Amino acid sequence: MTMLALFQPGLYHLLAVSIALLTAGVAVILTKRNAVGILMGVELILNAAGLNFVAFNRYVWANAVDGQMFTLFIIVLAAAEAAVALAIFLNFYNNFDTINVDQADELQG
Amino acid sequence: MHAMLTLAELTSDQELIRKLLFCATLLPLVSSIFTLFLGTKWLKKQTGQFAVAAMAMSFVCALYAAFKFTTGDVEPFTWAIPWIPIPGREAGYLYLGLFCDQLTVALMVMVTLISTLVHIYSIGYMEGDKRYERFFCYLSAFTFSMLGIVTANGLMQLFVFWELVGLTSYLLIGFWFEKKGPQQACKKAFVMNRVGDTGFLIGFGILFAQLGGKVLLPATDGGMFDAIAAELGGKAEIMANPPMWLTIAGIGLFFGAIGKSAQFPLHTWLPDAMEGPTPVSSIVHSATMVAAGVYLTARIFPILTPAAHLFVCIIGLITLVMAACMAMVMTDIKRVLAYSTLSQLGYMILGVGSGAYIFALFHLVTHAFFKCCLFQCSGSVINMAHHQQDMRYYGGLARKMPLTALAYGICTLTISGIGFGSWSFLSGFYSKDGIILGSYNYAHALGGWGNLFLWGPILVAYITPFYMARSFALTFLGKPRDQHLYDHVKEAPKTMVGPQLVLALFAIISVPWILPWEDMIEMSQQSLVANGVTWIPGLHELHEAHHGIAAPLLFGLAGLLMIGVGIWMYKDGFGKAEFLLKKAPGLKMLHTWALNKFYFDHLYDVFIVKMTKCFAGICSFIDKWGVDGLVNVAGIWTKGLAKFTGGFDNKVVDGLVNGAANATRAGGQALRTTQPGRIRVYVSLLFVGLIIALMFALTLVAN
Repeated sequence: MTMLALFQPGLYHLLAVSIALLTAGVAVILTKRNAVGILMGVELILNAAGLNFVAFNRYVWANAVDGQMFTLFIIVLAAAEAAVALAIFLNFYNNFDTINVDQADELQG
Repeated sequence: MHAMLTLAELTSDQELIRKLLFCATLLPLVSSIFTLFLGTKWLKKQTGQFAVAAMAMSFVCALYAAFKFTTGDVEPFTWAIPWIPIPGREAGYLYLGLFCDQLTVALMVMVTLISTLVHIYSIGYMEGDKRYERFFCYLSAFTFSMLGIVTANGLMQLFVFWELVGLTSYLLIGFWFEKKGPQQACKKAFVMNRVGDTGFLIGFGILFAQLGGKVLLPATDGGMFDAIAAELGGKAEIMANPPMWLTIAGIGLFFGAIGKSAQFPLHTWLPDAMEGPTPVSSIVHSATMVAAGVYLTARIFPILTPAAHLFVCIIGLITLVMAACMAMVMTDIKRVLAYSTLSQLGYMILGVGSGAYIFALFHLVTHAFFKCCLFQCSGSVINMAHHQQDMRYYGGLARKMPLTALAYGICTLTISGIGFGSWSFLSGFYSKDGIILGSYNYAHALGGWGNLFLWGPILVAYITPFYMARSFALTFLGKPRDQHLYDHVKEAPKTMVGPQLVLALFAIISVPWILPWEDMIEMSQQSLVANGVTWIPGLHELHEAHHGIAAPLLFGLAGLLMIGVGIWMYKDGFGKAEFLLKKAPGLKMLHTWALNKFYFDHLYDVFIVKMTKCFAGICSFIDKWGVDGLVNVAGIWTKGLAKFTGGFDNKVVDGLVNGAANATRAGGQALRTTQPGRIRVYVSLLFVGLIIALMFALTLVAN
């Protein structure tokens, strides 16, 4: 395999990007206390998953568009989820004057 | 179902009499019910007049029936309607009806007349009593019950009214139930009567067992016991050699009469019944309750065997003599009269037993008049003397209450049987004379010790005037022994004196040559004789013998003599009598015995009341230790078992439930630490889990 071939974009490159996105999302979720930050982390993870779907559809099963369809749904889902989550955070802020998720432990038994 | 009994058609006269008697019997009941419901609210003051009016109407009905019966030459008749069906029995039904012969009619007139007078008397006597209206209710019910007995058609119906008399007498004797005396007295009367009634039922049961449903049949025209007598076959032959059961049945039925008429073993209730209001005493002692026993004995006369007759005579004789002795020593005016009643009832029972059955019933009628009058007089005295009943505090009252004294005096002469040869102007002479003649015949037929049946009545014929004169002298003659009481006494009100005088008048005019009592009752005798009652010696000849012997002269004049002696002795109080008692020690002992009523009450107290109480004690002990013990052991066992199951429940069942709960709680405690509520923790756990799952998956794929 030539070096050119090594830089030829392929499935592995896409998966590497996807892994990078997932790792970044997880890191954001684990480290952030800000609810909006966590929401951003979740968006990164979702996008990593969406990238995976598209990549596998292109390189493994190119005749179909299932992957693309899934990704479209994920984008819609992410938008809906962001709307709901932002509404929750707004409510939370109204009640607790903060969006620090560590404060949200009312349901702890 | 058996065909209904067909009775003979009644003639128009009989039908009229039936209706009259029906009205006469039911009017007191109507009055009783009306006073019960109206009296308490609207007619409180008028109940007396209302009841008197009803009774007077009843009397008029009875009198008109009697008039029709005697003048119209009406045959005795019977009328009945089916009452209660009895499946599988010959009779088919218990009948409710009316039996009417001369005796019924005569007694109806007597009872309604006396009851009317007692009702009138009660208006005066019970005035101001707080249960005024209830008294008339009871009194009317009492009269109704007695009229029911007199008109009863058959033994069963008679027994129903018999019990009603017992009940109403209980209510009347215990009328002043707030006091202890009446309470005890009414209980005693009721219980004593129950003892007698047990005998009645035994007798009835024997007849039923031997003769079957026939005893339940209503009376036929021939008489109350015609059906039974017919069942027995030829009566004279049967009676010559009677079966044992017939004797026992007769004595059993007579036991009912012993209870009601207060004869020898069951006599103790009658003197105690004095605790009731005096009008009650006057009616109980004359027309109603005690008369019922004599009436029953007379009605069952045709089925009494010679042995039963002897039994009846012995009971009558004992009562006669014993009660007369007691009457001689009593100082309570009502008690003297009560024992006098007992003694006179003894005469009647002896009369029935010895076959002088007409005279016994005649004596029942005349005695009813004079004894009712005597009681009413004593009631007037007691009422005026502030309820002082003891004659020791009386004396000289004739000056204060002349009319009462007059009535009492007339009746004293009547009960004494004053007569001149074979003629008298007083009814008591004729009736008592007849009974003594009957017992003379009976004694003659028995011979030997049977002569007691002659000498007993004659002895009492001497005693009666004495004790009556004694009570008269102590109450009305001599000097007042209690000045305070004497000063307060005045003549009784008109409603009380009136009935007394009317009764005294009837005591006089009931003599056979004015009023036809004796003839009326005698007609019943003729039907009896026609029915074949021939085993009583001298029954036919009795009336013929009436004027034949010297006895009337003997005791007719004896009455006068003994009255003289009595008045002489007691005119000035007890002085002479006490002197006599001091001089004669034997007399003193007899006096003490008689004063203690021959210790019958003590005897019954020791042998019956105490024994019953002792038995009750034993029963109570067994109940307490035996029955209660068993129950308690069962209780203890149950308690133990309950404790065990309770423990099981608490420890095991609850333990399981609680254990589950505790385990759940502990699990929850343990698990809650894994839910800290920090998103980062959840997420890190999520990823750790994800990594582990992936590693598993990879190993699975690798293999």
